[in-house]
Amino acid sequence: MLYLSLVLVFILSYSFYFYGKKRALSLKFKKNENLSSLPDYYGYYVVLLVFFPAIIIWFFLLLFKSNFQEMFVMSPVLFPDVATWSSGKFGLIMNKISNLSMIVNLSEIDLTVGDKSILKMASESEIIAAKNLANFDKIYGWSNLTLFIILPVLLGFLATKSISGKLNAQPIVEKIISYVIKGSSYIAIFITFGIFFSLVFEAINFFRYVNFMDFFFNTAWNPNRAFVIDASDGFDQEALKEAFGFIPLLTGTLLIASVAMLVAVPLGLLTAIYLAEYASSKVRDIAKPIIEILAGIPTVVYGFFAALSLAPFIKDVGEGVGLPVSAESALAAGLAMGVMIIPFVSSLSDDVIKAVPQSLREGSYAIGATKSETIKKVILPAALAGIMGSFLLAISRAIGETMIVVMAASLRANLTFNPLEPATTITTQIVTSLIGDVEFDNPKTLVAFALGLTLFVMTLILNIAAITIVKKYREKYE
Amino acid sequence: MVDQNSNYALQTSEVYVHYGKKMAINNVALNFPKNEVTSLIGPSGCGKSTFLRCLNRMNDVIDICNVKGKFLLNGNVDIYSPDIQVETLREKVGMVFQKPNPFPKTIYENVAYGPKIHGIASSQNELDEIVKDSLHRAGLYEEVKDRMDDIATGLSGGQQQRLCIARAIAIRPEIILMDEPCSALDPIATAKIEDLINELKENYTIIIVTHSMSQASRVSSKTAFFHLGNLVEYGETGKIFTKPDKEQTNDYITGRFG
Amino acid sequence: MSSLEKRLAAEKRFKFYGMFAMTLSLFFVLILMYKIFSTGSGAFVRTTINADVYFDPNFIEVSSNSSKKEIMKASYVDLADQVINQNHPGLDEENFIKVREMYTRKFDYQLRDYIANNPNVIGKTVNLDISASSDLDQIVKGNYPRNVPEAQRKINDYQLSILDSLDSKGKMSKTFNFWFFTNGDSRDPETAGILGALMGSFYALLICFSFAFPIGLLASVYLEEFVKPGKITDIIEVNINNLAAVPSIVYGLLGLGMLIGVFGMPYQVPLVGGLVLGFMTLPTIIIASRASLRGVPPSIREGALAVGATKMQTVFHHVIPLSLPGTLTGTIIGMAQALGETAPLLLIGMVAFVMEIPGGAFDPATGLPSQIYLWSESAERGFLEKTSAGIMLLLSFLIIMNTVAVLVRRKLEVKW
Repeated sequence: MLYLSLVLVFILSYSFYFYGKKRALSLKFKKNENLSSLPDYYGYYVVLLVFFPAIIIWFFLLLFKSNFQEMFVMSPVLFPDVATWSSGKFGLIMNKISNLSMIVNLSEIDLTVGDKSILKMASESEIIAAKNLANFDKIYGWSNLTLFIILPVLLGFLATKSISGKLNAQPIVEKIISYVIKGSSYIAIFITFGIFFSLVFEAINFFRYVNFMDFFFNTAWNPNRAFVIDASDGFDQEALKEAFGFIPLLTGTLLIASVAMLVAVPLGLLTAIYLAEYASSKVRDIAKPIIEILAGIPTVVYGFFAALSLAPFIKDVGEGVGLPVSAESALAAGLAMGVMIIPFVSSLSDDVIKAVPQSLREGSYAIGATKSETIKKVILPAALAGIMGSFLLAISRAIGETMIVVMAASLRANLTFNPLEPATTITTQIVTSLIGDVEFDNPKTLVAFALGLTLFVMTLILNIAAITIVKKYREKYE
Repeated sequence: MVDQNSNYALQTSEVYVHYGKKMAINNVALNFPKNEVTSLIGPSGCGKSTFLRCLNRMNDVIDICNVKGKFLLNGNVDIYSPDIQVETLREKVGMVFQKPNPFPKTIYENVAYGPKIHGIASSQNELDEIVKDSLHRAGLYEEVKDRMDDIATGLSGGQQQRLCIARAIAIRPEIILMDEPCSALDPIATAKIEDLINELKENYTIIIVTHSMSQASRVSSKTAFFHLGNLVEYGETGKIFTKPDKEQTNDYITGRFG
Repeated sequence: MSSLEKRLAAEKRFKFYGMFAMTLSLFFVLILMYKIFSTGSGAFVRTTINADVYFDPNFIEVSSNSSKKEIMKASYVDLADQVINQNHPGLDEENFIKVREMYTRKFDYQLRDYIANNPNVIGKTVNLDISASSDLDQIVKGNYPRNVPEAQRKINDYQLSILDSLDSKGKMSKTFNFWFFTNGDSRDPETAGILGALMGSFYALLICFSFAFPIGLLASVYLEEFVKPGKITDIIEVNINNLAAVPSIVYGLLGLGMLIGVFGMPYQVPLVGGLVLGFMTLPTIIIASRASLRGVPPSIREGALAVGATKMQTVFHHVIPLSLPGTLTGTIIGMAQALGETAPLLLIGMVAFVMEIPGGAFDPATGLPSQIYLWSESAERGFLEKTSAGIMLLLSFLIIMNTVAVLVRRKLEVKW
């Protein structure tokens, strides 16, 4: 229904363009009024005055639909003491009513079978609320539809009525549009703040349950220890302390990222050097795009490949040599991740190497240095800053990677530096803590946000460092 | 004409150079006497820089550049022969470029680069000596002796160019090629370099490409005039600039074109 | 000259290392493609068993006059059993179960659909190809080894003997598995399809585009054309560059915390998925759009202003249309990246078992990458080829989208 309303808003706004323009034209030709702007602008004027209020209200209704739903269903008329309920109780009752609403209007249900027990356990208020909920969507939908017929039409007529020759529509239209584009750019900034604040807000909630220091410096990660049945019961403080230690996640993340870099750095850098300095342009034109493909492959594919082929292969090889290798080794995940990161290193390094001025190369060749000597002693040192920047970006990417580790690495924390052992990462734990019941007042869920905040800050620092370094490097040569 | 006489540092004949299908040098023969300064002059695009770059095989870097001809070093070594390693050639034939191109390293490291690569010095002391000596010969030592560990790109344009000359000298070449070495410098720096060239010719053969006829007449004893890839005239500098044989030469030096 | 020889040898080695590294990287691409293709191509064929199906009215609850709704609601389990009895007469109860297992578990649904499309078939006999069960399908395809002891096999000896006898009668065949494209997810691998996930991703991308493209375009117009370069734009630029490099899982958290937590939007719907992807793609579009706007030469703007156009008119009538190809290219590439993102979908719930095909952005759904993830986690062997086939489909879309982006740039871009 909300869809339909949106379509209506668009269609009505669009039609009012013609209506407004027509009115302006009739003013000009029938009543001989002089128009201050081109007739087009009167059309735009009406459209904007119809569209933007309508679309803003539509967004409002969309975003807060479920809040309205709750207000409508859990009204104090049915539940006089609803204001005093804890959020846990509220959620439980809401759930119950939600389940009820799916069956309460179905006349075909045989009430002698199981379902009757649910009905039996419900109070009369709850049944009424359930019926309301079932009807809510219909009511909400139809009332929106009416609203979005009446509102645009009303606005449209008012706007059109206000058209007169003296009304200079063009500056008004342009002013509105300037607000719109300004607002759009604020949305981009708003997203950054949104990320930051939603992470910080929930992370703070988490730190109410688990001490800051305990979280960052504990070496035991066992969220299941803190498993609590009812959210309204207290939490075992001591158990919580033992449950959320960040250190093994950090070491796991760094371990896998290191393995990845050990693959990506030599392969990526040497590839970049070869493509930039040795390869013919034909080879370069073919090879470079193919290697870039590695960056475009979705990470779920790498994860699948790592879990399916790579991990068993490594395990077999390891056991063949007599080494104990886990089926979820950090090595497998790290190798797959390394392949994924190769283009990050090679592309940026290639750009940076190519940016070193040809005059430096010629100066070195003129002295009788070979190509490899020139590369090792002149070009790479000159390009060093840029190459470092590419490494930082690659590390940042490795740390933030989710799917490869979820699919190929372990879900269990393990404080180790041995790549043959399983390990888990920050991103994996964010995912696992959010699978299953998501309760915003349970530390098991909230820890995801604390982890997310940490991850965000880590990658932010790496990214800023990388961009600054590369920028400084570019300034040197351009 | 090829002369077995080793009074010539370099003898070239039947030189053809093409960039793809386009001809850049058309049948040039030119000999360069030892310990003299020969200048190559001519209007833009006449091929003088291209010809110069043949002499240390710098054109090898350019894929589409095709070089044919005889280039004899000291009367007996064809520098384009497949037996010759280009790295060894460039030990003997050094080059200084139009825009000074010191490496982004220290002054010391810039000069030490060549000797280190070719393994010329057998000890750190010997290397220090070579660096000091080269800087002296380039007339730069006094100015930088207290800041050998500063980054070379902090020097002025003229100092950078002298540094590049020191760098070229450090590997003890026989011939120094200079491709418009002063065109990016101010008059005072230019004068210093021209003085330097006069001193250097005692120990090296110098071939210099220059846009400036006054410079050619100041520093060189022999001059070659190029036009559209052809060697139009070659002879004593004095003669070329006062009583050239060819009318084209005359037109150029009197400024009718170029 | 031995030092020269050493140096030349070092040069050769170095060049070789470089070439080796490049070849290895190319090799990885090839291995990946080969693995995916070879495991995935099996998903596009389905093993069938040919059988004579007598639509015995005694075992069918509805008649040929029943409405479609009634036909779809009735049960056909008995009919299915009866068909098996007829085609494999004289089985005792234990063997009957074994034979039944060789046919797809959804046999009764197959019959139901057939009757729904051909109500007049009741009472008649038709020769049909029935889908085999996933385990049988895998054996026929050779993915399960036959020559291992029975205890290690999913198909027991008796079933193998039936299989061989059917095969010798020519009743086993393979057919193109269009179900992969027309069905939603299923617990049985042989009937599982990707359509649900496809539609989920489609709606999500639609929302992503509707959000990110207009806002991205307008924001970049503002930043490029209307704001003087200075401290503020520098900060915004750093800001946007950072957003482009934030790990995708953080955007998932944003969606969870803000859209679902604060605004109470529903779980598992493409609306939320699309918005999160939109947040992610927005910086990419802004960056591409700004670069494109910068590429329009000042002479165009000056020309328009000189004939009396306002700034707004100059921008909207001249600059934006000229910069559109570059912006579109960047947008399509951004959407291609969004299509492949799994982590945000996981966090907002678009990753559970959903059987129905979503009808809109408000219906629960999975997305293409998260469906691949789900299938890869399954223990059943039959899902392996489905996973690879899903990956093939995903990669195909990515190739198409990237090709379109490059074409847009080549064909539409104005060269200055």
